[in-house]
Amino acid sequence: MKEKQGERNVIVETVARVMIPFVQLFALYVIIHGAGGPGGGFQGGVVFASACILYVIAFNLAGGRARFPESGNTIFSSLGLYIYAGIGLLAIIFSSGAAQYLNYGFIPFTSRFEENRALGMDFVEIGIGITVMAITASIFFDLAQKDGNEKEEEEEGSR
Amino acid sequence: MNRLRVIALILIILLGALFAYVAEDIPVFGDPNAPPIKSVELFTMEVDQVASLLDQHVVPEKLFKELVKRGFPPPSRVEKIPGIEGEWNGLIKKEEPHYAKDEKYYWIRKERDKLRISRYAFVVRWIEKGLEETAVTNMVTYGLADYRGYDTLGETTVIFTAGVSVILLLRRRSRL
Repeated sequence: MKEKQGERNVIVETVARVMIPFVQLFALYVIIHGAGGPGGGFQGGVVFASACILYVIAFNLAGGRARFPESGNTIFSSLGLYIYAGIGLLAIIFSSGAAQYLNYGFIPFTSRFEENRALGMDFVEIGIGITVMAITASIFFDLAQKDGNEKEEEEEGSR
Repeated sequence: MNRLRVIALILIILLGALFAYVAEDIPVFGDPNAPPIKSVELFTMEVDQVASLLDQHVVPEKLFKELVKRGFPPPSRVEKIPGIEGEWNGLIKKEEPHYAKDEKYYWIRKERDKLRISRYAFVVRWIEKGLEETAVTNMVTYGLADYRGYDTLGETTVIFTAGVSVILLLRRRSRL
């Protein structure tokens, strides 16, 4: 396999180039339609991460890492959870303590209580989606980069 | 070692016998009237004047006293289930922000000379009131993200923790 590392496969690259935007669009569709139809944050996040994985498989690890950098990955993986927990906390803040944690109806997005709950659910799904996407991509990159690191360590050790 | 195996075999046989004994009470798989999905039976009582009072939307004193004695929330009023003879819904006052209304809580049925009093499962409210309370058409989503919001927050935390564990185990570098 080593001699093929630098080789480019035109078919795989072209198909990936065409597919990735549609996969990402589909992921956003799944997340946004979590409340109205089948879907949700968990599924959408995994689909979004799979677009990133497809890029790495078709092109190379360094390019994938450059497009989805480690710092952003770390921030995103906790940002989704903060959004979820923050939405829950907003309910307490806006109702000045009357509502329970995660009772979205009291966050004044709109004038109607039921619509607030629906919108709160949407934001929560987005939060879940961000966390799942970042964590899935992070685990993939860590597993993929492990071999490279070991090689580096071996080289350092042999010196 | 051999003794341990014999003990294990005896324990397994005993547990199997216990399971066979209990299996009669386990609800049928996919039964829509299973206790976690429909209702849990609380107690039965004699029907005398109670049924006619229930039909007049009055909570009978006997039933009220019995419920309070057993430590259940007192019913505020009784409604007849439309279309079904001999079945009523008992409602209670619920102290809940924004939903400070009566909530369907007891299910009262007349079976021959017995009055069966059951308590509705929580899921009944999700299924019947979910759309009007949350304005979301997808039953799975409002179950997942609204009524069981804590559960989903925990699930997301589990995924986050898994990712952090992988980072700590595999990323052997100074900065995260």
